[in-house]
Amino acid sequence: MHIPDGFLDPKNSIVTYVASTGTLGYALYKAREELDEKKIPILGITAAFIFAAQMLNFPVAGGTSGHFLGAVLAMVLLGPFSGFLVMSVVLLVQCLFFADGGLTALGANIFNMGIIGGFLSYYLLILAKKALSRFGERRSLLFSSAFFAWFSVVVASAACSIELAFSGTVPFKVVFPAMVGVHSIIGIGEALITTVVVAIVLQLRPDLVASFTGAPSLPYAGEGVS
Amino acid sequence: MKHDYIDKYSRLESPVHSIEPRAKALALFALIVICVSTPPEAWWCFVVYAGIVFIVATASRVPASHIISRALVVFPFILIVALVTPFTKEGMTILELGFLKVSKEGLITVWNVSVKSLISIIALILLSSTTPFPDLMRALERLKVPSFFTTVASFMYRYVFIIVDEAERMKRARDSRNFRGRWIWQAKTIGQMIASLFIRSHMRGERVYQAMCSRGFEGTFPRYHDRKMKSADVVFLTLITLTAVSARISLLW
Repeated sequence: MHIPDGFLDPKNSIVTYVASTGTLGYALYKAREELDEKKIPILGITAAFIFAAQMLNFPVAGGTSGHFLGAVLAMVLLGPFSGFLVMSVVLLVQCLFFADGGLTALGANIFNMGIIGGFLSYYLLILAKKALSRFGERRSLLFSSAFFAWFSVVVASAACSIELAFSGTVPFKVVFPAMVGVHSIIGIGEALITTVVVAIVLQLRPDLVASFTGAPSLPYAGEGVS
Repeated sequence: MKHDYIDKYSRLESPVHSIEPRAKALALFALIVICVSTPPEAWWCFVVYAGIVFIVATASRVPASHIISRALVVFPFILIVALVTPFTKEGMTILELGFLKVSKEGLITVWNVSVKSLISIIALILLSSTTPFPDLMRALERLKVPSFFTTVASFMYRYVFIIVDEAERMKRARDSRNFRGRWIWQAKTIGQMIASLFIRSHMRGERVYQAMCSRGFEGTFPRYHDRKMKSADVVFLTLITLTAVSARISLLW
């Protein structure tokens, strides 16, 4: 889903760049409020974690494989703004050092995977979690994570195919069903992984899940001394 | 995994490696932007851009195999466009293969997408394989990219190979216990791996954070020596930018 250079026309590149840099600026401002500058090492290592997690491919039917996107997971675990910034750093490094996603398409890639697949899905997740709150904090978080992790992959691929179609690269009637179709299968993997990860982290270190507002956790082994 | 996994070959010695990182980044970014904004019909412009990339690649002594293997990332994208667009894009039919009609506009799109993505991707590969990661991050910082991004990215660079090694160890352990990645449902196992990877990474992050705080970390890395632009760097930057810009401007006449 990382769009390379040359696949988008200038119009699409510029619009998505403006949207992404604007959001980045705002997220930076918000993250400075909620985050001590010194905690940067933790964010950096989490970025390395997302990078490593994306290397664990899982097979999808028919010989293709998908990899984990992690936008919703990052936001659920780190909070929306830190999660978005971490995802953007990962995309920036992938673009500059792995040529995975082009420079002129970086705005579009951050837009698709960070804003549409990230913020939009995350806030819908929070709404769904509130709506499900009678099932309990933990269950409602897990259910809504599962659905919106799937949703984030599908909606990001839809945004990606709309941009490609508007740029005249691939016709809409071909690219849209194909991309959304493939990604609604890949999304099942994303949903399973995200839910399992959130469930396990909730069990072991609930203090690490930023969007979990349930009972305060017990102090964990090694706190303050590790 | 080796520690230079991200910026392999960036510590070789060559005329390109010795260019000041800001000049190199600006020149190659400008080349990419100009290349992407060129209309596909102007094939001679792409000859000029490809020439620039070829000269820089030769001067950099980065092995061609490395450049090619990293550039393979775009081929699936190009392949999809090549298989779909010529037959579906509306326009002048220039070839009929049974019930399939090949349109001229479709073929132009394929050319457009492949030439631009290849030139740009090779430019990016050249940048990252001739500039060590910390130097490029410092250059971006001096080009006014907020230091938050560069600092987070620098931590990522320092730890990614440890975390990836950790992931590789888990993968090896999993595979030696008869894991067969056949069905999407096995994503559960991968979820469990990713969960423990997250907790381990986060705990490592906390340890690093505490260790750095106790050594006086203030949120940014101290810098001891910043390189200045020398005349060679200015020549490199202006030569590349001017050549590309003049090829692009020649279209206006």
